[in-house]
Amino acid sequence: MVIDLKRCTGCHSCTVACKAEHHTPPGVFWAKVVRVESGKYPTVIRQAVPLLCMHCREPECGMVGPTGAMKKSASGIVTVDSKECVGCRYCAVACPYGARCFAPEWKDYFTGEKKPSSPFAEYSKKKWAEESDKGVVSKCNFCEERVEQGKKPACVNACPCEARTFGDLDDSESEVSQLIKKRRGMQLHPEYGTDACVYYLPAR
Amino acid sequence: MVKTSCGMCYGTCTVDVRVEDGIVVGIEGDPDSPQGYGNICAKGLSAPMMLYDPNRLNYPIVRTNPVKGIGVDPGWKRVSWDEAMNILTTKLRECRQRDPRGLYMVGSPTFPAERAFNILSFRKAFGTPNYYTGGGGLHCGNGAHMIGGIYHASWSVIPDFKYCNLAIYWGCSKGHGAGHAANVAAKQAADAKARGMRLIVFDPFLSTQASTAEEWVPIKAGTDAAAALSMANLLVNEYGTYDREYLKWKTNGPYLVGPDGLYHRDTKTGLPLVWNPLEKKAETFTSKSVKDCALEGEFNVDGVKCSPSFQLLKNHLKKYTPEHASEICGVSANTLRRIAKEFGEEAKIGSTISIDGKTMPYRPVASIYFRGSQGHYNQAWDCMSLVLLNHFVGAADVPGGALAFGPPVHMGYPGTGKLKYSVEPDKDGLLVAKNWPYAHLPYPPLEPKDPPERLDLQDLFYIPTYTTIMAWENNEELWKKFKIPYRPDVMISFATNQIMSVGNPKTLLENFLKKFGFIASFNIYSTEFEEAAADLVLPDASFLERYSSATTFPTVGVSCHATGLGEWIWAIRQPIIKPMYERRPMIDVILELSERLGLREKYLEAAREWVNRAYGGDLDLRKYFGPNDKLNFETILDAIMKDRFGPDKGLDYFKEHGYLKWDKRVEEVYWRAFNDVRIPVYLEWIIRAGKKSKAVAEKYGVPDLVDWSAHNALPDWRPCPTHTEKNPDYDLEAFYWRSALHTYSMTMQNPWLNEVSQNDPYTYTIQLNTETAAKKGVKEGDMVWLENSKGSKTKGRLHVTDGIRPDHVAIAANAGHWSKGLPIAKSKGVFFNELIEIDKEHTCPVSLGQDICVKVKLYKDGGARSG
Repeated sequence: MVIDLKRCTGCHSCTVACKAEHHTPPGVFWAKVVRVESGKYPTVIRQAVPLLCMHCREPECGMVGPTGAMKKSASGIVTVDSKECVGCRYCAVACPYGARCFAPEWKDYFTGEKKPSSPFAEYSKKKWAEESDKGVVSKCNFCEERVEQGKKPACVNACPCEARTFGDLDDSESEVSQLIKKRRGMQLHPEYGTDACVYYLPAR
Repeated sequence: MVKTSCGMCYGTCTVDVRVEDGIVVGIEGDPDSPQGYGNICAKGLSAPMMLYDPNRLNYPIVRTNPVKGIGVDPGWKRVSWDEAMNILTTKLRECRQRDPRGLYMVGSPTFPAERAFNILSFRKAFGTPNYYTGGGGLHCGNGAHMIGGIYHASWSVIPDFKYCNLAIYWGCSKGHGAGHAANVAAKQAADAKARGMRLIVFDPFLSTQASTAEEWVPIKAGTDAAAALSMANLLVNEYGTYDREYLKWKTNGPYLVGPDGLYHRDTKTGLPLVWNPLEKKAETFTSKSVKDCALEGEFNVDGVKCSPSFQLLKNHLKKYTPEHASEICGVSANTLRRIAKEFGEEAKIGSTISIDGKTMPYRPVASIYFRGSQGHYNQAWDCMSLVLLNHFVGAADVPGGALAFGPPVHMGYPGTGKLKYSVEPDKDGLLVAKNWPYAHLPYPPLEPKDPPERLDLQDLFYIPTYTTIMAWENNEELWKKFKIPYRPDVMISFATNQIMSVGNPKTLLENFLKKFGFIASFNIYSTEFEEAAADLVLPDASFLERYSSATTFPTVGVSCHATGLGEWIWAIRQPIIKPMYERRPMIDVILELSERLGLREKYLEAAREWVNRAYGGDLDLRKYFGPNDKLNFETILDAIMKDRFGPDKGLDYFKEHGYLKWDKRVEEVYWRAFNDVRIPVYLEWIIRAGKKSKAVAEKYGVPDLVDWSAHNALPDWRPCPTHTEKNPDYDLEAFYWRSALHTYSMTMQNPWLNEVSQNDPYTYTIQLNTETAAKKGVKEGDMVWLENSKGSKTKGRLHVTDGIRPDHVAIAANAGHWSKGLPIAKSKGVFFNELIEIDKEHTCPVSLGQDICVKVKLYKDGGARSG
């Protein structure tokens, strides 16, 4: 994935698109936006940085999980097998990007209870159980199901600024590869050797 | 998949709604639609949480506790719709018998078309002139829309994102997630920045737009006009950079003005005169022999000393030196000089561009104002000063420049030719916006009503919107003096939370709302307004449960079409699911009320008038209802659509396709190059109109109703009470801003939006400068109070940042709820409007809009630091 920081305004459409797509419960955000600020008034830089799982080529999470619940598909998507995960959260500690989420159990957004407060909440609870489970780690899966159907990940689809692009990094002619080359896309924390699959285009 | 228009804000993006087993399970954009481009924002995505919120109003309820007040438990009791309709009908019938003008109607600006049918048409049929827009309108509207209307025949202005090279933003956020056309403008602005458009943002704090801009210019809130007038001064008096041809033929710059400040008119025709320098004589501006006209100089016309109005403006601007402006606005004189020079140069005066085979002026700069710059005492002249920069360089409604939102010209739907919008000159040659969504145009001014009839005295003035006068402390005295023979009787509200959105709640309640014998509110939640003041609350259908005739038209009033060339779109709203429980679309109630009250004919006539003004044409709705047919909204919709688009494009077509789109034309987008209309660089007519209003006020013994000296022809900066506060204890200027996550006060109840807001450092906090915080001995996370000089105060958690002027504090949105009906929103964020005073001192003397900046003192809350 490529995220263009020149286009992004930090509006949180991606944050909510992901939540709406995967029905993540309270406290679980597979996608989020942070703001980085530096400088002293009036010379201040404030940059919105959308975050998600980086689907690293050398994932730290995979090296520490005791049950081998971390899986990497042929296309490079890193996923958590919720049946194998025991919720020890070593991976959450290891991940340099804060991409791992943990929910002790599903809660209704309005009441905080286990009982869904509406037909939509019931649907949401059911969908969440298909994606993950209580007491295990979950995270962004690059909308694997959508991608299989030829659709774009939910965050890419929603972004009003059209700041996100998804594609094949192994294809040097793909849009993502071209953007990285032409605009000098960078990974976050390359010094950890994670070789992330998410690149950021500079804001200026 | 059902197609509809989102209603989470007034961007009205067209969306595809996914339904499974009768449940709305998701919302996505429609990639083929120009109203969203297939994208969707956080608010739209969160709509299902609003639809299925267990706190939604599902049944009519009545107040059993006769005591009204902030935080008072209304003692809601559920009643049947039968009973509710009987109560409503009886109250309205009795009101009509006493005096129909006792009915006050209030509507939300989020749904203009719904408001037109629910509120505007019904009030006309009922026979009351009293109406206002709860909150949003008064805060963002009066100055901005009046000026947008006069100068651009539009609600507001926006850069031509496709061609603009340098845009200056003054307290506005076009393209950064909030406000008008939020979503479509976001893509357009991103594309523009990718192309290389430069953005310079004047803003007291590091807003989203300021943080992505090339340059953030930290300016004191409410002083933008001083900065802009100094830039204007530099352009015309120092740099000599102004578009002479534009000023000569597209403005009243050459119109000769006499010693009395008014046009020196031709005695025979009464038309304004210009000086023909080739023949050395004065001629009417319409004269065919005028091949050139003077913009400067002094001339003797029949013994009268006259000057072109542009000369008067030039002279007037001299006092706005960059140094003087700098003292007022806190921006260095060098910065003002530099930006003015760049603006003038980048405007490329004299250049042209060819688009679609049409050659037009090319002026790739834009000076854009909106809510932040207009929320001040001097808002009419503030907005005028900011928009005028475009007109000095000819960058108005031509490629690259500041474009009218809308736009205001539409040549007709291909095929039927219906839906025509146009602009035209009045007899003085000035721009008239023919398709303004309200009957009262921004220009030409109506004659003041003598005596005024409205409780807010709006009809005494020439402004096209509303005032706050009905909530002033001395309102009873004013009503008596102006011989208004009736008093507030019944109020009907559509989707407003007036207690939170107008100003200090207690002021509005005590001075205004408590005077009503009966208040009925149609809403989807029991908000602070219902709990404090309503007698009967009707559960409205949300936007996913109801119809709307058009969400993207009328263009001028809705301001959501993508700017520039592209496609027009007419989109409807339709129920995705049947209204749940006993929710009922307000329009159905209004139609039934019209029948019950014997107002059926009058309602259809009023709706016809609005439909034809808003959508062009002459449709007679009465033809569609036989004497025994019940009024039905779907029939009305079908009639409108078929009349505008053809017999095969009725409601069924729109239910299936969601919308209709067709190409925009160059003559519509860049209409100023194709219409012979002028705008006033000298507001001569305000002198005359102001005098008329003043005369009426004096006649009824209220000579100082407003500061009449502001009703003149030339722009000046005037301070807000904020800027003249003498007590040094009140040392911080407080203002509020619009977050992309929220729409007025409604969305904090949405748990997804609320959760994101809680995780975001800005949405629910008071932003304070790092150094200022250190000086005051407060730190990140501290709970503090902000208090104004009247003792009104509000509490919030601090976020300390370098991204704000040291002398300002910033608060987001309309948060800080306390109602029981909004448990998710309760206690989240900061309630800014507690600090807004509703009085003459804080009202623009020209446009009667609210001044919403306030000087405060900040102190720590007495408890421990909030966790």
